[in-house]
Amino acid sequence: MTSRLALLSAAIAATLPLRAAAAVNVVTTVPGLASLAKSVGGDRIRVESLSRGIQDPHFVDANPILAVKLRNADLLVDVGLDLEIGWLPPLVNQSRNAEIQPNGSRRLTAASAVAVLDVPTGPVDRSLGDLHPGGNPHFLTDPRRAGQVAAAIAAKLTQLDPGGQGYYAQQLAEFQKRLAADEARWQGVLAAVKGRKVFERHRTLVYFFDWSGIVDGGELEPRPGVPPPPAHLAELVERARREGVKAILVENYFDSRSADVVAQHSGAKVVLIPGDVGGEPGARDYESYMDIVVSRIAGALR
Amino acid sequence: MKARFIAGALAALAAAAAAAQQVAPPAAGSAPGTAAAAQPSPNAAAPVGSSAPARPLTPSDEAERRKLEEQIAKELGAPAPGSAAQPPAAGPGTGAALAPQAAPGQGTTGGNPYARLLLLPDISAIGDFALAYDGYDVPQSSPRPDLYGRPNTPTPLFQELELALQSVVDPYARADVFISFHPDGVDVEEAYLTTLSLPAGLQVRAGKFFSPFGRLEQQHPHVWDFVDAPLAATRVVAGDVLSGPGVDVAWLAPLPWFAELHLAGQDTAPATPLDPGASAAGDRLTGIARLVQFFPAGEATTVGVGLSAAVRGEGAGGLRDLGGVDLYARIRPPETRAYLALQGELYGRRFTGMPGGSAWGTYAQAFWRQSPYWGYGVRYDRAPAAGDSAPGTEQRASAVASWFLSEFQRVRLQATWDRRPGGKDALEALLHLEFGIGAHGAHPF
Repeated sequence: MTSRLALLSAAIAATLPLRAAAAVNVVTTVPGLASLAKSVGGDRIRVESLSRGIQDPHFVDANPILAVKLRNADLLVDVGLDLEIGWLPPLVNQSRNAEIQPNGSRRLTAASAVAVLDVPTGPVDRSLGDLHPGGNPHFLTDPRRAGQVAAAIAAKLTQLDPGGQGYYAQQLAEFQKRLAADEARWQGVLAAVKGRKVFERHRTLVYFFDWSGIVDGGELEPRPGVPPPPAHLAELVERARREGVKAILVENYFDSRSADVVAQHSGAKVVLIPGDVGGEPGARDYESYMDIVVSRIAGALR
Repeated sequence: MKARFIAGALAALAAAAAAAQQVAPPAAGSAPGTAAAAQPSPNAAAPVGSSAPARPLTPSDEAERRKLEEQIAKELGAPAPGSAAQPPAAGPGTGAALAPQAAPGQGTTGGNPYARLLLLPDISAIGDFALAYDGYDVPQSSPRPDLYGRPNTPTPLFQELELALQSVVDPYARADVFISFHPDGVDVEEAYLTTLSLPAGLQVRAGKFFSPFGRLEQQHPHVWDFVDAPLAATRVVAGDVLSGPGVDVAWLAPLPWFAELHLAGQDTAPATPLDPGASAAGDRLTGIARLVQFFPAGEATTVGVGLSAAVRGEGAGGLRDLGGVDLYARIRPPETRAYLALQGELYGRRFTGMPGGSAWGTYAQAFWRQSPYWGYGVRYDRAPAAGDSAPGTEQRASAVASWFLSEFQRVRLQATWDRRPGGKDALEALLHLEFGIGAHGAHPF
């Protein structure tokens, strides 16, 4: 009887996915996080993003095929702050992977590693639009915060794969060194346009403004997720003229029509930027993505 | 009473003191983001090298630990590790991953900590209302569960108010409760527990739930692209949705695509005089099996195929055999929010050991979500005619236009041309309003 039970449990155990067999299998919700994970995980990890840089990360389909990717994930890194609320929870439920549930040992919510902006302080309801009640989740456009997220990923990887401690520490140090050099270069490019005012489509660049010194003139959306009515756009045209707004920044997954209209009437330029790593062909990793964002915005404001 | 008040006040003071400590500026020279951590958290942006140097685990260490684990399991009289559900091991400090930490002048690390302190489940209400116009007497000539008006008279209808309560229960399971308020009263539409931590790809639902049969039948009406259900579901499968208390075991096969096998046992009660086997009243045991698969087909397309079968005891040796095939394809280029969804189902039924014979019905539909704000659909459905209609097939062709004012409100206009046997044609029209308030869990694909 006992031997039969042992045999049965062995058979069941054999069907379980083998963990830590080779590389640590990391799944991230967005490609920016995947790039950061790759930077610190190197050859010790395999990494895949559930969404792509050409997608609006708020509106990814909860496609069950993505649940299959989560089933064998050794680590799930999500942004948090309800960015993925419309699609990640059902996938995590379907995955059967107990440890990637919120607060699970194989879940890292990147927002927990950074200082969050736009945290509402007063009462919140949806008359304010489709806002994120926990704060603004678009923090990867700030390289300082990206560095903090990379450090958190390295710490988590070390916890899950203690054998790689030295490796992760070294990779992280190298990445942070590169990032520091990048930052100095980017700040150099931006130095000439600091203090200039821009509009953005959605509140996606608050952290970029915080880091770069470019001034946030407001959004085309009157409220998050609410399409701009003509009256609002007309007001923006006037403000753009009055306040000398030179650029309207739009992630390339958004419809740029309202931006085009404001640009046409105000003389500002519409600047299409990739929404994330992979958002356009040149944005291969976090650094080249930020290269594009920085140079394009600086170029438009010069 | 007084003592308790004082104790409470003291606790509050202590908490405030602790909070004050946490938001204190970091000590000079410490790395940003690490200083304010009252307790070490792996999620803090701590430099990796700074933790106590631990000897890397070797494979032999691993084997030794497993042995010890087995030894401990034996001593505790528990099954060997890996053979049964284990609580998800929380790593040190992960539970309080969102503890507030401050970096100077930059807000609160981890966002609003209070949002997570609320232990309330997600609570939401979804309201559905319609204005119906029917060019004939629907309950007489084409009986169906709901959404019809008085003949030739525009009729305002209250369809349903769904109250949803959803939350994890503990680290092992989550619970979803849906209470339906409708013109006939109140029902617990669904209330079930779903396991989160079973091994071997298994997931169990237990409670009261919609049977895992077909695609449309498992969805709540507010998920449908069309305002009403195709006739086939109610005429062929069950008078109302197939549902009831029971257990559903779902196995996610270890394959590179999504393949899930459901085996469920439920006591189902069609519970309406419209049921095709209405003569056999009462709750009856029902066995259901379903295999549902989703495949990627290129970058933009996902194809889903489902096969369902069910057997329901009808009393006195009679059986209701049900079968269904459902197809779903969604074509959505990843860079847009527009998509085309194609969906069709075929249902078949046979009564054995009792009168009733066999029947089949089907529907096919296409829905084009043109933009975040607009969507359009067409549908064809056919099913055995019912009521005072001549025996034969009833066919309908429908078109719907949806206006999504936001993610939480939509207005739909649906027009249907209904053809009953004997060339009896009529128009059905529905103007439908739907809103959702509160936090409603995202729906599966």
